[in-house]
Amino acid sequence: MEFINVFIKTAFIENLVLSYFLGMCSYLAVSKSVKTAFGLGMAVIFVLGITMPINWLINEYLLSEKGLFGIDLTFLRFILFIATIAAMVQLVEMVVEKFSPALYAALGIFLPLITVNCAILGGSLFMISRELSLSNSVAFGLGGGFGWFLAIIAIAAIREKIRYSNVPPALRGLGMAFILTGLMGIAFMSLMGIDPAAFASK
Amino acid sequence: MKKALLKFFERIEPDKKKSPFLHTLYDGFFTFALTPAHVTKGGVHIRDGMDLKRQMVHVVFALLLLYLFGMYNAGHQHFTALGQYPSLLSGFHLKLIFGIILMLPIFVVTHVVGLGIEFYYAYKKGHGIEEGFLVSGALIPLIMPPDIPLWILALSVAFAVWIGKEAFGGTGMNVLNIALLARVFVFFAYPTYISGDQVWVAGMEKLAAGSPVDYGWIHLNFFNPIFESFGWATYDAAATVADGYSGATPLSLAFHSGWEAVASQYTPSEMWWGTIPGSVGETSKPLIILGALFLIFTKVADWRIMVSMVGGLAVTAMLLNGWGATEFMKVPWYYHFYMGSFLFAMAFMATDPVTATSTPTGKWIYGFLIGVVGMVIRVLNPAYPEGWMLAILFMNVFAPLIDHYVLQANISRRLKRARASA
Repeated sequence: MEFINVFIKTAFIENLVLSYFLGMCSYLAVSKSVKTAFGLGMAVIFVLGITMPINWLINEYLLSEKGLFGIDLTFLRFILFIATIAAMVQLVEMVVEKFSPALYAALGIFLPLITVNCAILGGSLFMISRELSLSNSVAFGLGGGFGWFLAIIAIAAIREKIRYSNVPPALRGLGMAFILTGLMGIAFMSLMGIDPAAFASK
Repeated sequence: MKKALLKFFERIEPDKKKSPFLHTLYDGFFTFALTPAHVTKGGVHIRDGMDLKRQMVHVVFALLLLYLFGMYNAGHQHFTALGQYPSLLSGFHLKLIFGIILMLPIFVVTHVVGLGIEFYYAYKKGHGIEEGFLVSGALIPLIMPPDIPLWILALSVAFAVWIGKEAFGGTGMNVLNIALLARVFVFFAYPTYISGDQVWVAGMEKLAAGSPVDYGWIHLNFFNPIFESFGWATYDAAATVADGYSGATPLSLAFHSGWEAVASQYTPSEMWWGTIPGSVGETSKPLIILGALFLIFTKVADWRIMVSMVGGLAVTAMLLNGWGATEFMKVPWYYHFYMGSFLFAMAFMATDPVTATSTPTGKWIYGFLIGVVGMVIRVLNPAYPEGWMLAILFMNVFAPLIDHYVLQANISRRLKRARASA
């Protein structure tokens, strides 16, 4: 039950893009068509879902005082987390290149750039600061990835729709994407304040 | 009559080259009054007399009765709070004049700000004035609390028209519903002016028992002498708020202590006819249903969205009945139609053809999901007592996505059929 709560909370209520504004660069750059946005969103779900438990294990068994070395190595957190993420992204890149060359070409530089996508490192750091358990960190990763995926395909569909609109020249492209993100953030505020855990306990 | 009007418009038509701004203005009012006699030249095209402006005027017609009742009800609630004229029709002139004095500035400010921005952009782009604000401007006063300060109203309308519409390229291009965007702006920027028990009754500083009424110059020194000369009752400047009056809306009562608390304050027939506190236009259910039928009959609004929204609400509310973890969840599902603004949102907000999905299948999905999300926000979210505004905005964001996948599914199905037959 708690697994589902954490999933719903990170996907909808505390959406990584629309309430923390993390992972904006690829969110803004790859959201021009639904198809590529869908591919990137899937990649982010996968990477987040895999790296969170791995990083949890690293943090618990290598870096903390209770871990393998018996000393506090938490200052190495950032570098080791990024290394895990980079390795996972490399894996995704190889898979995408092998099975869907068209998507690989469409995503271009943004696929390897998932490595420095702040949503992914941010997710791992949130996990540490919120002291989630291992299973909850999986839920957090999948939920965060799903929320990111939803946000990017929604904005991609809107941007496909407004392609033929008479937008003032100064706002075309990125300017419009920023305004849209803000308005979507307002819409997502509707769910803020719901606490799934409060109902589950009754 | 028509000829005289036409002649009048011909005489005042300003020169397009010399004063473009005046000509834009002129064109806007001309097409509002009369259908232009443009005929297409060359090619086979059919022009429908039912153009965008005519379509929007239909919505305004559907809202007229709500305006009348909303104004009267604003007055009625004011006197209920004072403990005067408790029955609906007593003190008729006082209530009506109070409502008109209250609503007229709201209506004027909405239109001056919204149309001002619209006119400016039409002139800038060299287009005719776009019709879009006709409906938004008629809806915004109806969804605001009667006690809204005018400067907040002006800010919110400016935000909605500017960021929500003109940035996207004008009428028909916006992604989020303009009227709801104006309301949500107030909701998040000035929450104390649009939620709680205090704001739904106008005319006094505070609603606590014994606090004095707050009439302006126009009530006391303009209308009171007039009423006196007819020998009618007048506004009583010494009146105070009656004991035991809270101004709580049915939803806030239901949220805190369930249906029994609502039933102890308001009878279902009061909630049905709409003599309860609330936003100006949302309270009277029969008039809203009348407006909705009118819109369905003239095919301006889509019945699929309305039907599926009712379905979404009913299914979610029944599931919540079954769960029953809080008092609010136990409220029988059919009473959710009585409380709050569901019907208003269904008839006039969700069916906005610009921001809703445009495929028929998409409309079923869209309406149903609004019903579900709205109920989730209303019942499960302790921060917001009412959910429809936010649910519709939430689904507006996803409407293009729903359309996209409905279209993709259609394309792949037809492709398969074409391949099979080939």
